[in-house]
Amino acid sequence: MSSKGDTVVRFSLRTRIEHASVMGLFLALAVTGFPQKFYPAPWTRGLVDVLGGIDAVRWLHRASGVTFALLFAVHVVGAVWPTLRRKAALSLVPEAKDFRDAAATLRYQLGTAPPPPAFDRFDYRQKFEYWGLLLGGSVMVATGFLLLFPLLATAVLGGQFVPAAKVAHSNEGLMAFLVVLTWHIFNAHLSPEAFPGDTTVFTGRIGRERLRHEHPLEYARLVAGAPPPPLAGSAVRALALAPMRGALLVMYLPTLGFVMVGLHAGRRLRAALRRLRPRPKPGDEAKESEPPASAA
Amino acid sequence: MRFPILVALALTAAAGGARAEDPPAPATVQDCLACHGDPDLSITLGSGETQSLHVDARAYAHSVHGSALNCTACHPGFAEPPHPAVNTASRATFRAAFRDACKTCHLDNDRKAHDGVHYKLLAAGDTRAPFCADCHTAHAIEPPARPRSRISQTCAQCHAPIVAAYRESVHGRALTDGNPDVPACTDCHRAHDMKDPRERAWLLETPQMCGKCHGDKKLAAKYGMSDKVLQTYLADFHGMTASLHEGKSVGVTRFTALCIDCHGVHDIKRVKDPESRVIRANLVKTCQACHAGAGPTFPAAWLSHYEPSPQKAPLVYAVRLFYMAFIPFVIGGLVLQVGLNLWRFWVGR
Repeated sequence: MSSKGDTVVRFSLRTRIEHASVMGLFLALAVTGFPQKFYPAPWTRGLVDVLGGIDAVRWLHRASGVTFALLFAVHVVGAVWPTLRRKAALSLVPEAKDFRDAAATLRYQLGTAPPPPAFDRFDYRQKFEYWGLLLGGSVMVATGFLLLFPLLATAVLGGQFVPAAKVAHSNEGLMAFLVVLTWHIFNAHLSPEAFPGDTTVFTGRIGRERLRHEHPLEYARLVAGAPPPPLAGSAVRALALAPMRGALLVMYLPTLGFVMVGLHAGRRLRAALRRLRPRPKPGDEAKESEPPASAA
Repeated sequence: MRFPILVALALTAAAGGARAEDPPAPATVQDCLACHGDPDLSITLGSGETQSLHVDARAYAHSVHGSALNCTACHPGFAEPPHPAVNTASRATFRAAFRDACKTCHLDNDRKAHDGVHYKLLAAGDTRAPFCADCHTAHAIEPPARPRSRISQTCAQCHAPIVAAYRESVHGRALTDGNPDVPACTDCHRAHDMKDPRERAWLLETPQMCGKCHGDKKLAAKYGMSDKVLQTYLADFHGMTASLHEGKSVGVTRFTALCIDCHGVHDIKRVKDPESRVIRANLVKTCQACHAGAGPTFPAAWLSHYEPSPQKAPLVYAVRLFYMAFIPFVIGGLVLQVGLNLWRFWVGR
């Protein structure tokens, strides 16, 4: 089944290296960052000692952070440059369809709509994660540099920016970790479709069947031998709007989770309450029928 | 089996009782004073130093032991001449001969003193280091902390410059005025098992030491101080680093700022004192001790022991508030979707 003939290339070597680097750096930053955030907890002492003391932990954290910032810059340039030269389309920028897809998927999962729509190269979950990493990463890089150069930061921005950056860096880092723990680990490892783990991002190849199932629009193009849709309109405009669309999707998905699940729970609750409310006729009959049953 | 123990206990009790009932034999003290009451009684030590053997009868009578102990309680075997041989090579050997006299009764403090830095120095051959009698005196022993200012007087015998700085500090001045709330030397350094103050482990304990009083709500209310100074210190970068330096932490290449690095050690001033190192006018200079090149806006990066609030640090407060709402919002929304996905998988198959 999984012979080479049945797979297609999905990720370039460069993308795979980028993913592996982010993964390694993310883990390194979490391991060296959390003992600093949760320093009163008893486990931090042992971890810090294993890593060679707090000063070593700080240097590891800073080195990983600066590397992450470089990787971030390389990635952004690598995405912006080909777009400006109209050599590539922005397949990760959220479209109106992604917002519709998310709602339709939730409706399907709630059992109030037919099976979810067909996805293109990246579905709305993947786009959410990409933009979460990009936007969260920029907060981390910016606040990280403020904390790395406090003299410069206070001279240019003012004193309060340093403690504010510390609060933001610490919380944004925790949130990134929790998003990866819930969203990424679920979608890439624990979800019934991916379990025990989606290896595409490491091997670069995806099974043909799986591509057809998970990204049917892309698959259809592949079969037809059609190129990816070209970038419509001005590349500059598209690039300028991309982070805003990303931010919109990042805010939209959690909101949607609360709204859809909340509405559904509300409907179910109302239905349950209606069933509980004593109805004069059937209730009375039930009561009357009880004594003989228990007597028997 | 139990019988011999009971007998032993009974004998001990009887002996103790007899000792308590018998008045101290003043005759014995008087006997000793027959010779040792002479202010000129002295010997020449091997080193050429003169060692007085005089005991001030009045001072001894007024001392805490004067009415309870006779001479042989501390000098067993010295009841009558000839006295046991004592190493009279030098003042140090002569004093060492009587060093264990106190532990018969004060074993606990003797043990503590053996853990202290003074004994460590003594054992290393530093003959200047004090032991019991050097602080408490040998015969004129009075309650060491009555009045409490006596403590700093005692330490000043060797540590005069430090005590002089302390007396000018906010704590020292109040102690001189008889204020019972401020620390005397021994409140921070301890009386018998004082550590070498340059020791890393001890230095890292100092924030908790300061926090004992400066985290006390009653004291804070009494003097109009913040009781959150330790808490806010620990929540910031310096305090966090100090916490992580604790324990068996390895590889510390630099040291972080502790309370004493900004406020001073013995010369701590009231924070509003114009001479205080932490008053706004002097703060940049204090920061520059570690942060070379710090500019006038740099000290504002430290919230001066205030917790972020809309008045004191609106930006920090706003960022904190934002994440307090944003993290549960994002994670909650995602977890709901993940849960829904799993539920669907469960019921759908």
